[in-house]
Amino acid sequence: MSAWLKALIFPGFLFLFVVFLAVLYFERKILADVHLRVGPYYVGRWGILQTTADLFKLFQKEFIVQKRANKILFSLVPFVAFLMSTMMLAFIPFSQTVYVVSTSFDLIILLALVTSMSPIFFYAGWASKCKYSFIGGLRAVNQLISGEIPLWLSASSAGIFYGTLNHLEIVEKSSVLNSLILLPGFLIFLTAVLIVSERPPFDIPIAEQEIVYGFITEYGGFNYAIFLVAKTIELFALLSLAVVLFLGGFKGPVFPGIVWFFLKISVLYLFIFLLRASIPRIRMDLLLKLCWKVLTPLSLLNIAFVITVKILTG
Amino acid sequence: MFPAGNTSGYSFSIEREGLLEEKLLQLNWGVQHPASGPLRLKVWIDGDIVVEVEPDIGYVFRFLEKLVEHRNWINAIVNIERICFVDNFGTMIGYSLAVEKIANIEVPKKANYVRTILAEAGRISSHLVGLGSFMDVLGVHTPMQWALIAREKFLDAFETYAGQRIATSSIIPGGVRYEPTKEFIRKMIFAVDYLEKEFIPRYEDVFVDNPTLKLRTVGIGVVSKEKAIEYGLSGPPLRASGVKSDVRKDYPYCAYGELDFNVVIREEGDAYARYLVIWEELKESAKIIRQAIEGLPEGEYKTKVPVKLPPGEAYVNVEWARGCFGFHLVSDGGTGPYRLKLRSPSFANLWSIPKIMKGIKLADIPVIFASLYICQGDVDR
Repeated sequence: MSAWLKALIFPGFLFLFVVFLAVLYFERKILADVHLRVGPYYVGRWGILQTTADLFKLFQKEFIVQKRANKILFSLVPFVAFLMSTMMLAFIPFSQTVYVVSTSFDLIILLALVTSMSPIFFYAGWASKCKYSFIGGLRAVNQLISGEIPLWLSASSAGIFYGTLNHLEIVEKSSVLNSLILLPGFLIFLTAVLIVSERPPFDIPIAEQEIVYGFITEYGGFNYAIFLVAKTIELFALLSLAVVLFLGGFKGPVFPGIVWFFLKISVLYLFIFLLRASIPRIRMDLLLKLCWKVLTPLSLLNIAFVITVKILTG
Repeated sequence: MFPAGNTSGYSFSIEREGLLEEKLLQLNWGVQHPASGPLRLKVWIDGDIVVEVEPDIGYVFRFLEKLVEHRNWINAIVNIERICFVDNFGTMIGYSLAVEKIANIEVPKKANYVRTILAEAGRISSHLVGLGSFMDVLGVHTPMQWALIAREKFLDAFETYAGQRIATSSIIPGGVRYEPTKEFIRKMIFAVDYLEKEFIPRYEDVFVDNPTLKLRTVGIGVVSKEKAIEYGLSGPPLRASGVKSDVRKDYPYCAYGELDFNVVIREEGDAYARYLVIWEELKESAKIIRQAIEGLPEGEYKTKVPVKLPPGEAYVNVEWARGCFGFHLVSDGGTGPYRLKLRSPSFANLWSIPKIMKGIKLADIPVIFASLYICQGDVDR
């Protein structure tokens, strides 16, 4: 496959929408299972087309922009977020051959893109000129200053350990023992992923019962759908990064690499869905406390540990 | 961040003493808010700190007290039961007791037991919704779904009894409207079994001793024992502050005097204590239903109430799911109520909000609001 086809079809745009629909479907189905409900049922077999129908319903809705909103910024923000989260996927190797680009600083670019999502969320809240949106935007910044540091530190521990930032090389050098050494880093990374991607129990910027829907309050229809896709793909990219850095990426016996990759990522998704079903949301100041007093020191200790192991093993 | 003199953006000047500051932001936490219900809290915040809260009510005002005056003694219950649909047996019992007090009639023992069974089943279905909505405001929707499944079993029993799942109109002055059939008793036992054997263990494993829940709720919205009495709190919020007050125990009505149950109290007075009181009362209510079904006597289930009652007044308190409900009923010797004054617990609990919610974090507003166990329909009547 040429790079163009890859960018458009497989790890590119088309694939991205399939991922979005599948993740949303399985989230609803698994949540329904925990709730002792049935979940999506009527549209398609096992309700499998329900999310597609929902997405198309959102796409055909009116494009509403508030009168007082900053119109250009308000309409631009979802698309910028979408583009950025799409770019993240370009750096993920789904198997030995399936990737869009492979550079010597994959990890840095991906983390930089993730970090620059938060200011975009702030702009979304600011451009809406709505009180709840504005508070949501400020909370997104709070999420940034608390979650990004553990994220970078724990991700860089893998980079330090393998001595490279190229994802393909990291996967090649990985083994079960290496994954065990990086286990503390993995746990910190997973927590930081939940914080950065605003998943429950850290869904503080979009806390429905507190600030309506945070920075997405004023978005509706197409804008909202694009925003939702961007946020889902951001989480997908971050979980893919976790698989690549800590779980050996596409490596595994018997099955082809791509099957292993999706198997590993679906385990992570299942964990995240179950968290959503069982853990209450924590408060903004508690999150700051958690990140600055627990996660950041732990991730620094983890880096020290990784460096020690590296020195000892030569 | 907040430019002065701009009234369309983020700054709002408030004409109140001591609050005339531009940096305060007024939020309308309500009417069309995901967690408020038909009720508005005007919230003034300074950053993340709540400076003042002012409840604004009246969005579901239905003039029930006046509507009752156009009914006769019996069919006034269709208005009375609409005070709050989640638990309507308690209110119907209170009204019926007031009518019986004026008419000076004795209801059969069987009617008292059936009333007790229905009232406790109503309390359980209300507490289940209370637990679910408390966890809902913390962003977890699993408890609500589990609670609604358990509640369905009780609604099935009500349907067997009265033909309706919610607006049953089943308790009338002079007794209860229908004979408690074997099928009704069987369904009620099934519902209590489901609650005790399936719902309670499953829920207790995950959502009672939950560390994140404690992190969010312990020490939030604390009301001391003295303050709880001063604010006039009632029901679970009052008992969570350590006041042992329960009309069922203090002034027994229906069959409560003959049954064995505990009044659940907690000393802490915070949101978590209020949550636990609701949780423990669920178990107590299940116990009461079992005892009442066992002791259900034979005989008549209602007596005649005269069309015209003698002139007089009666004041009756009942322990409703959300607290102590007062009924002041006046008769002028006519065929229906002359005047009915309702003292609703949710209204009393609501007006402690401006006091409790001073200086808390914005994120704690829904937690305290849900923990006070307010029914918006009951606030407005």
